Amino acid sequence: MSLLEGLRFSRGSSPLHDLDPRVKFFMTCILFVAAILFHEFSMLLIIFLSQIPIIIIGKIIKEWLKTLKGGLLLATMIFVTNLVSLYFFRGQQLTLDMLEYSLALTFRFLIMITSFSIFFLTTSPDKLSLALEKAQVPYEFNFAFITSIRFVPVIAEEAQSIMDAQKSRGLELEKGRFLSRIRNYIPILLPLIVNSIRRSLELAEAMESRAFGASKKRTNLYELEMSVLDYLVLGFTLLILIIIVYVRFFMQTFMPMFPPVRIL
Amino acid sequence: MGIVEVRDLWYRYPGISEPALKGLNLEIEEGEFILLTGPSGCGKTTFCRCLNGLIPHFYNGDLRGEVTINGLSIRENPINRLATNVGLIFQNPDNQIFALTVEKDVAFGLENLGVEKNEMLKHIDWALDRTGLQEMRQRATYELSGGQKQRLAVASILAMKPKIIVLDEPTSFLDPMGAEKIFNVLLALNKEDKITIILIEHRIDLAARYVNRVILFNDGRIIDDGPPEKVFSAEESRLAGVGIPKIIQLGKRLRRMGVNLEDLPLDALTFTEKLKEKLVNKKISLLVETNTKVNRIMEDSGNRPIIKVCDISYSYPNGVEAIKNISLNISKGEFIAIMGENGAGKTTLVKHFNGLLRPQTGKIFIDGIDSATMSVAALARKVGLVFQNPDDQLFSENVEEEIQFALKNFGFSREIIEKRVNWALNLLDIERYRKSSPFVLSGGERKRVALASVLAWDPDVLVLDEPTIGQDYAQKERLRHFLLQLRSQGKTTVIVTHDVEFVVDSKPRILLMSQGHIIADGPTELVMTDFEMLEKASVSPPEILKVFRSISDLGFPKNVFDVDEAAEIISRSLRGGLI
Repeated sequence: MSLLEGLRFSRGSSPLHDLDPRVKFFMTCILFVAAILFHEFSMLLIIFLSQIPIIIIGKIIKEWLKTLKGGLLLATMIFVTNLVSLYFFRGQQLTLDMLEYSLALTFRFLIMITSFSIFFLTTSPDKLSLALEKAQVPYEFNFAFITSIRFVPVIAEEAQSIMDAQKSRGLELEKGRFLSRIRNYIPILLPLIVNSIRRSLELAEAMESRAFGASKKRTNLYELEMSVLDYLVLGFTLLILIIIVYVRFFMQTFMPMFPPVRIL
Repeated sequence: MGIVEVRDLWYRYPGISEPALKGLNLEIEEGEFILLTGPSGCGKTTFCRCLNGLIPHFYNGDLRGEVTINGLSIRENPINRLATNVGLIFQNPDNQIFALTVEKDVAFGLENLGVEKNEMLKHIDWALDRTGLQEMRQRATYELSGGQKQRLAVASILAMKPKIIVLDEPTSFLDPMGAEKIFNVLLALNKEDKITIILIEHRIDLAARYVNRVILFNDGRIIDDGPPEKVFSAEESRLAGVGIPKIIQLGKRLRRMGVNLEDLPLDALTFTEKLKEKLVNKKISLLVETNTKVNRIMEDSGNRPIIKVCDISYSYPNGVEAIKNISLNISKGEFIAIMGENGAGKTTLVKHFNGLLRPQTGKIFIDGIDSATMSVAALARKVGLVFQNPDDQLFSENVEEEIQFALKNFGFSREIIEKRVNWALNLLDIERYRKSSPFVLSGGERKRVALASVLAWDPDVLVLDEPTIGQDYAQKERLRHFLLQLRSQGKTTVIVTHDVEFVVDSKPRILLMSQGHIIADGPTELVMTDFEMLEKASVSPPEILKVFRSISDLGFPKNVFDVDEAAEIISRSLRGGLI
């Protein structure tokens, strides 16, 4: 789950945190598109390296490294499966360009998870929900989204208490074969579910008491306003998009960096 | 016309034949501060739900009679309309916070009402100021303590500028300090902003001094209504399920002995003042004070300890040092209460007793065996832990199976399981629920099932975490007698609690904890009179003790906390005799 860990918003202040979520999302999408458009190792490496300054500006190096660490297994798998399948499909030989191609695909994956973590690590759920609201997503969905984030720590704590209580009654989770191990979780899941149902009833009461759904025209404490920096970043991102499209479709195709020299 | 008018109110929940409210008549004036109390299941919460229209709009069922709030009928007006007149605050602070930051949560109600941004900011500022949360404005809601969360709930309701605030047992989840802060916020809102407060509470000892009217519920009816002095001086039987604060008990006892302090004082301070007036011109013959020196750490009692804790420390993964270098011996048959502020490390310590947590340094010996060599299950067999919330453990189809669960885990034979289940059911007086689902039982009954399910395997040591939280007086008394019974059978019992009066009544050995250390350890008489240490651990001393402390300069002993003893001493001194 450490891959997801790297996607969790960490509060901080940086120009990247202050960026309008819509602009940031656009930026993430462009990085994503770029990763899909190119399959040359050299270009993907450039895109990957160009993400690093963004991460430094956002002060999320530590969290990003955690994401990479979480993605390491998947990245290795992508590399190995590509290499192995190339090896078998191309007459059971390994050449340098095969190595390059597999590495390129691996970097494509790394660019994708990096662009996602740039977005999610620096965008508070509140801002995200605001952006969704601007995108005309119905408020009920938005509310459900925020509430589910809000209750993650509460439910995690509750799960811990339940686990403690059942272990104190002699429940051994690791005991038995596979099937009985699954059954061991029933004494933990059941109270969790019952408590959640009870909680949802209480939440509904509290929502009613806070005039939920009172006015058709709901206001919002926070508003999204594009700053000069937002426009600058937006302009710059558009420029990058144009360059990417130009390079990909109007320039001659890149050659692989390495010739198909047989190494194995 | 009152701000709240209730005329012949009857209500029955759908699918239940017995009405929850049986003909209530009530009028509440603007600016009153009301304590609404009564035993569990008396209809208090149901009544609250009527006040902002949750009944009849959210809960169906059969409603008769009429309730008007500020002239608005609850039948004809939707909940969100009533919400701007009546703000309802619930027991569990976590289940009424919706946003990720403090500021945004206070805004939630206003956003729903469609208030303009500038106007909204003004309301939020005011609400945060009134609840003392201004500095935490940008904090994430999950970082707040229980008390802060509950104050946030008050702020969020307050921002909607209601004329009435109704609180349904708001302090059940809080320690006494957190509770007192909430009450002080409410008092200021009542006095300065003229907001009508309706407070539902079991903890009368904490709440009584703040209110100017008490309404007593029992079995869906109002059985008494008036100023606290009047309601609490009513005959004992009426108050049976409620539990009268110690100071009021003392006042009543004295009155019966012929010492009249006029109106019954509700707290130690007024009591002392009134008593001092009476004591003017009386000559008090000073008697030698018993116990002057407080021995802070108890000596080892000779026999082999059932739990021996040697210099253990534990830090949570987030870096919080929960307990530091604790050493402790618990002998067989002892009765121990662990007290101290929230976060003092009480629960962390007891979780070490059955191996849920393992000490990072130091060792624990259970019945002479190093706990590091034993699994949680093996340790749990010897040390039974019962947690605060029974809902965190109940999961079986019926009560009988619930109690069997642990016995099966420990591998007892079928005959023994049957014997033990019968024994536990009888011991906790829940035999009649044997085949009932634990989920349909009341809160107090669920708590007893949870207790039975641990007691069933007859562990050498029984540990109860916050057993009195959310319990009414009758339930607490039942628990106290039960613990006494266990004690007389020689069972080693440890309770973790904030409830000072409960501890004083049970007279255990007290371990006082603060910031991960044990700062005092000794019998009730010694620890409870050590005011310096009590303050350090944020434990408020028992009320009667406070009185005796402030009159000790007149020659009274300092260490009295029993009602009978106190009444005896005071009446004798007023008659001019020797103390």
